[in-house]
Amino acid sequence: MFGRKRKPSDFDAEVEAHLALEAERLKEQGQSDDEARMAARRAFGNVTQTRERFYESGRWIWWDHLWQDVRFGVRMLRKNPGFTMAAVLTLALGIGANTAIFSLGNVFLFRPLPVKEADRLTVVAVKYRADDDPGQLSYLDYQDFRKQADVFTNMTFYDLNLAGLGYRGHADRVIMAFVPSNFFTMLGLRPALGRLIAPNEGDEPKSGPVVVLGHSYWLSRFNGDPGVIGTSVTLDGQMVTVIGVVPEQFTGPYNIVELDAYAPVGMVASAREYASFFTDRRDTELRVLATLKPGVTARQAETALNVIAGRLAKAYPQTNQGETARVIPERLARPEPAVESSIPLVTTIFLVMVSLVLLVACFNVANLLLARAAARQREIAVRAAMGATRARLIRQMLTESMLLAMAGALGGALIGSWVISGLEKLRPLGDFALRLAFTFDWRVFSYVSGVALAAGIVAGLAPALRVSRTNLNNTLREGGRGLLGDTGRHWLRNGLVIAQVAGSVIVLVAAGLFTRSLTNAESIDLGYDPHHVLNVNLDPKLQGYDQPRAEAFFRQLLSRAKALPGVESASLAFSVPLGYYSDGTSVYVEGQPLLQGQRAPGAGINCVTPDYFSSLRMKILEGRAFTDADTSTSAPVAIVNQTMAEHLWPKQDALGRRFSLGGSEGPFKSSSQGARRQWVTVVGVVRNARLQGLLDTPGNFFYVPQTQSYKSTHVLQLRTSVAPQSLIVPVESLVRDLDPNLPVYDVMTMDRAVAGANGYFLFKVGASFAASLGALGLLLAMVGVYGVVSYGVSQRKHEIGIRMALGAERGSVLALVIRQALVLVGAGVVVGALAALGVSRLLVSLLVGVPSYDPLTFVCVSALMLAVAVAACYIPARRAARVDPMVALRYE
Amino acid sequence: MSTREDKDRLELLQGTLDLLILRTLIFGPQHGQGIARAIEQTSEDELFVEHGALYPALQRLESRGWISAAWGISRNNRKARFYRLTQRGRKQLAKEAAKWNRLAAAIGRILGTEAAEG
Repeated sequence: MFGRKRKPSDFDAEVEAHLALEAERLKEQGQSDDEARMAARRAFGNVTQTRERFYESGRWIWWDHLWQDVRFGVRMLRKNPGFTMAAVLTLALGIGANTAIFSLGNVFLFRPLPVKEADRLTVVAVKYRADDDPGQLSYLDYQDFRKQADVFTNMTFYDLNLAGLGYRGHADRVIMAFVPSNFFTMLGLRPALGRLIAPNEGDEPKSGPVVVLGHSYWLSRFNGDPGVIGTSVTLDGQMVTVIGVVPEQFTGPYNIVELDAYAPVGMVASAREYASFFTDRRDTELRVLATLKPGVTARQAETALNVIAGRLAKAYPQTNQGETARVIPERLARPEPAVESSIPLVTTIFLVMVSLVLLVACFNVANLLLARAAARQREIAVRAAMGATRARLIRQMLTESMLLAMAGALGGALIGSWVISGLEKLRPLGDFALRLAFTFDWRVFSYVSGVALAAGIVAGLAPALRVSRTNLNNTLREGGRGLLGDTGRHWLRNGLVIAQVAGSVIVLVAAGLFTRSLTNAESIDLGYDPHHVLNVNLDPKLQGYDQPRAEAFFRQLLSRAKALPGVESASLAFSVPLGYYSDGTSVYVEGQPLLQGQRAPGAGINCVTPDYFSSLRMKILEGRAFTDADTSTSAPVAIVNQTMAEHLWPKQDALGRRFSLGGSEGPFKSSSQGARRQWVTVVGVVRNARLQGLLDTPGNFFYVPQTQSYKSTHVLQLRTSVAPQSLIVPVESLVRDLDPNLPVYDVMTMDRAVAGANGYFLFKVGASFAASLGALGLLLAMVGVYGVVSYGVSQRKHEIGIRMALGAERGSVLALVIRQALVLVGAGVVVGALAALGVSRLLVSLLVGVPSYDPLTFVCVSALMLAVAVAACYIPARRAARVDPMVALRYE
Repeated sequence: MSTREDKDRLELLQGTLDLLILRTLIFGPQHGQGIARAIEQTSEDELFVEHGALYPALQRLESRGWISAAWGISRNNRKARFYRLTQRGRKQLAKEAAKWNRLAAAIGRILGTEAAEG
């Protein structure tokens, strides 16, 4: 339709042609030139009116009016910079909060991976016990699923790994994935440089000595040098050749961290100290991705896989007993597939909170617009008198609020991107950058535009309707002083204030509940003392150390670290409490054979040096700690936690009991395979500690001496008598002395470490987000109350003057104004508290040790709101009390 | 304000004027002045069309896709905008004409004159 627009000039030409033709015809009939022209015009009728009708029927007028409105609006806004700034800033804060939350939701829930057929991409995960979260697959299971399932067009996997990438003698710790050769082809990716892994390349163990670099890593480590293709680098000490770089938009299949490198799965065998990856169904390392066949649903695929899982469970009861499969659309499995992800709930709650804050902001702007409309009453009356229709006036006013909203949206997008980049700077995963990638894609864009549109209408509609209903006779006669004091306007303004206060109260209650949860979470007894501990991670494997060399290295490191001034004790461990990696295993108890169909219980495991328990101040309840006498040649020993002791040996003394990691048959004959294959004797019971999650009740966990279970990855933990940060430099130089090329990473105090993703991170982020939103809501409500009260005072100057002339005290005027404001705010608090009671029930699953109706929170929030309201109306109230009756009366 | 009155008059003219324009264009493309002239002549000057009123009608018909328009040269060598009946316009004309004839016949029968028989 827009294509068929006809220009007014074209129409004018047609009318001219008509008049000329008609005049010519009349001349042919013998009329004179002038007569003919006159007659033609007469026959035509009113030319101007015809033109106007053409104009009004077209779309031109619509655009013209819009353009007029926009130009006029911009002029008005520029004439009142103070008002404009206040309104735009208010809206920008509201829209910014919305943008930030929506972008986070976008990363976790909406944005598809930039790969082929992303809409049909699913995550395949399995679990062995009913109440487990679905997790990774073993290589053999993956092969069986891949061969037998006919519900997928293709299936691939990735195995996330930390590795040392050495170049010119120096190793970098990178996060990388071992992938099969179909990984890149299935995802439909093309290299940014060089080539990706070729078909069948490196699918066999110990083959495929190549590596593909992540795009960001290529830029940062190799300065984006195209000459890197063909270069030799080392991966955990193994020589490999760089063959290519992945495209820039592909940051890897793991949503929140960008991968640095990809290597063929065949390299797993050479990179790891054990090679059970390809042969042991207990070695579950694979994160499996599969593309559904068109028309097949995830649920159908799941049913098909479960048939296969059932077959596997029968064929390999030792390892696959109870196995069930889950097929989850990729977008719902971020960052990890979980039985019940809280991400949609958290996203919804925060979206509700930011919407409320935006609503409060809109009401503020509405109030500002109303107040300004009072000043513009005369202008509007004149426009109406000149023939502007009501619709036209409303449009004019809405255009202005839309302009404000659009400016607010621009500012909001900026604020949103700041918030996101601020979040990315937090490091909940050790040194790894959290990748939230604020991209202004079409989803964010439509959301922000939609929000801005809504904000413009919400903020502008009520004032526009109100103003356009002005009785212009009265207004003009009143000489423009306006009749805004009429009662209708009062309830509108008052209603806005009540709504603002109520909205802020809801947000504040949520913020209060989250803050209380954080406090409660922080007072949880961790079972160890995280204060005054410094963590330094190192992994000699990154430089290609073998076991004897690494063990020698660790011995030296430990003895030198203990000698550092300020160090009380030093120990090594494999994993850090609440860190982002840990180890687990199945345990088989001596004398407790498994029943048919029963799975061996699982337990977490950490290997530590003798001083570990004193470094972390974990209390040994029974038995002994490890000593230097526990060596690779002495009898294997373990220290178990309370849960494990009670669980495996209920109502018995766990000390002296034995268990094995190798199978229920007991130890294998050959003991050369290490601790896994032997009976392990319990020599101590240690207090339960929160190691894997803050809120989960601690599960089975045991510790073995580092000397009896070799791992190359270790964290050096120092208990210090001085501030732990002060030891960072000495420890790093100590490591450099031992090996200048060995990278140390995740160097941080234990206090910071427990604030990571599995620790307090979500509580802290959630509480600080909620608190910021609450503060924002409070601030906006305060401004709203201030605005309305001070406007009311300015309108009632006359009345106040009379009261004072009749003998009212200053104090009583002050009290009058404050009392009236408090009635409004009180109503808002009541409405808000009631609404919050309902809304906060949504939060229950996210709260720690505090009920959703927590009276303390509700009382504090209400009191805070009232106190802030009193503060907000004190200034205008004082102004009212200072009214000089003579001036006020003379003014009339 | 006179807008409302204009609208009333338009309403009154709409049906018939549209029909007359469509009917006139059946003989071939014609410009606005030609259409006005043709209506007056064929009705033997019984009907007078205010030329100015013709244009809103032409625009309406054009926007409905019943006629199309293009600039061309008139018989006496003047640039003019020529209107042409489209396929849809032709169908519309048949429909409208039938309706009009039924209406005229019905009114004729009620009035009991022979006027409607033509």
